[in-house]
Amino acid sequence: MNETPAPAGPRRVREPGVLRLGSRSFAVTDFAVMAIVNRTPDSFYAPGKTWDHTAALEYVDEAIAAGAHIVDIGGVPAHPGDEVAAAEEIRRTAPFIAAVRSAHPDLVISIDTWRHEVGREACAAGADLVNDSWGGWDKELVTAAAEFGAGYVCTHVGNQPPRTRPFRVTYQDVVAEVLTWTLSLAQRALDAGVEPARILIDPAHDFGKNTWHSLEITRRLDEMVATGWPVLVSVSDKDFIGETLDSADPEERLTGTLAAMSICAWQGARVFRVHSIPEAVETLKTVAAVRGDISPERVVRGEA
Amino acid sequence: MITAVGLCPWPPVLVRELTGTDPVLPELRHACAKLVDALISTAPEVIFVVGPGPGTRTWAADSHLDLSLFAPLRRTSASSLPTPLGIGSYLLDQAQYEGRRVLQAVSTLASVGTCAGLGHRLATASDRIALLAMGDGSARRSLKAPGYLDTRARPFDATVIEALESADFRALERVSADLARDLMASGRIAWQTIAGALRSVPATVEVLYKDDPFGVLYFAGLYRPAGAVGPEA
Repeated sequence: MNETPAPAGPRRVREPGVLRLGSRSFAVTDFAVMAIVNRTPDSFYAPGKTWDHTAALEYVDEAIAAGAHIVDIGGVPAHPGDEVAAAEEIRRTAPFIAAVRSAHPDLVISIDTWRHEVGREACAAGADLVNDSWGGWDKELVTAAAEFGAGYVCTHVGNQPPRTRPFRVTYQDVVAEVLTWTLSLAQRALDAGVEPARILIDPAHDFGKNTWHSLEITRRLDEMVATGWPVLVSVSDKDFIGETLDSADPEERLTGTLAAMSICAWQGARVFRVHSIPEAVETLKTVAAVRGDISPERVVRGEA
Repeated sequence: MITAVGLCPWPPVLVRELTGTDPVLPELRHACAKLVDALISTAPEVIFVVGPGPGTRTWAADSHLDLSLFAPLRRTSASSLPTPLGIGSYLLDQAQYEGRRVLQAVSTLASVGTCAGLGHRLATASDRIALLAMGDGSARRSLKAPGYLDTRARPFDATVIEALESADFRALERVSADLARDLMASGRIAWQTIAGALRSVPATVEVLYKDDPFGVLYFAGLYRPAGAVGPEA
């Protein structure tokens, strides 16, 4: 069982501030959309859609045109499967990152990996952000991020090794556990020399968590926001939405995804990792308008 | 003396409150209820619930499974037990068992000698004892299994099933703890405790459930010592 001796109550560790990624800046109330680009032949979503180099580059163009601010490139699926060695993972990602960087000089590019060797090659090729999606499993990855001046995502995966599924997992308090872990990774990132404005925290829905746990972290996302670190959430097409709606096909989970995203956005999450860009952009824009952070596009009705 | 032994799966999906609107596996729930009812019907003076835990120790008999460990909204004031004992205790409660119970965790590192020794002690005690042993086969039986696919899982489980179905307790004592751990088979503790309890007691076997709908082998089996008699009138 995962236990935590965390104190109860909100834990503000810093004042919320501008999030810097690459050459871009995101204000506290900005919502940033991160487009997922899986450089794998077997990701669960639209298998192989972005495996072909040219198709993947076109997908990046479309994502940017649709409003994505960040592109998250990964070479290994999160689910178990045939091993992908570091060299192959680098082959799938680094040249592609270089091509994307060359085509889009100001785009924020993130590398989704747990390995320091891959992180280094990706940053050398132009990545601005290290999305350490397995929670600091390789302790040298954060060092690589710092060395290249890249940002770093502090993720909670409940102590699972990479590419494993949760098995009868329990938490005394999943949110407290997530906070303890991500805050400790954030401190490690600071100590390694990552710029404070380039650090994010991510509760990682479904990683080492069952559906009930993922719903709880969504319900209590405000506790992560209250720390002052920018929060990244990745809820798109996840199994907890599938189990909530009894929707076995990951491609049929858009409405649930947008609902969960809205709840996270309402509570103050700042970066959203998604498959369906236009829908995510519209959803976040609506939430921003309800929050009063942006204006509606055009108001005439009742005012004519 | 042992009045009966039940080998019982312990997936959290057994608990109806944890599966959402869909009951998920009512057949397994029914088989486990039948197993527990059968144990209770042998009129034991005490039911020992035995299962793997972080250490070898007993837990207070009134401890219960804390559902909020799995489903945070299910807030309870229950103390937390290792899940195998929690599920066993839950099943006894569902059967409305109000007699004595002992909740015995056995360390996952315990040797076959420790497990079989425990089983033997229960068998030679003067109390009428029913043993509810909590354990599952490998959780690595398929691509979609929680532990993904390990091609050793099915042959391993097949050997165990053969031993369980033929009441071959010596074979159960030979199951490798290391291999069981690699294959995420929590049942090693239960199988070897049962082996110790029934080693020199001929017993009839009834298989109530044997399937792997989620890539984890669930096996529910009831052992009645041959010629076991009821309580003194």
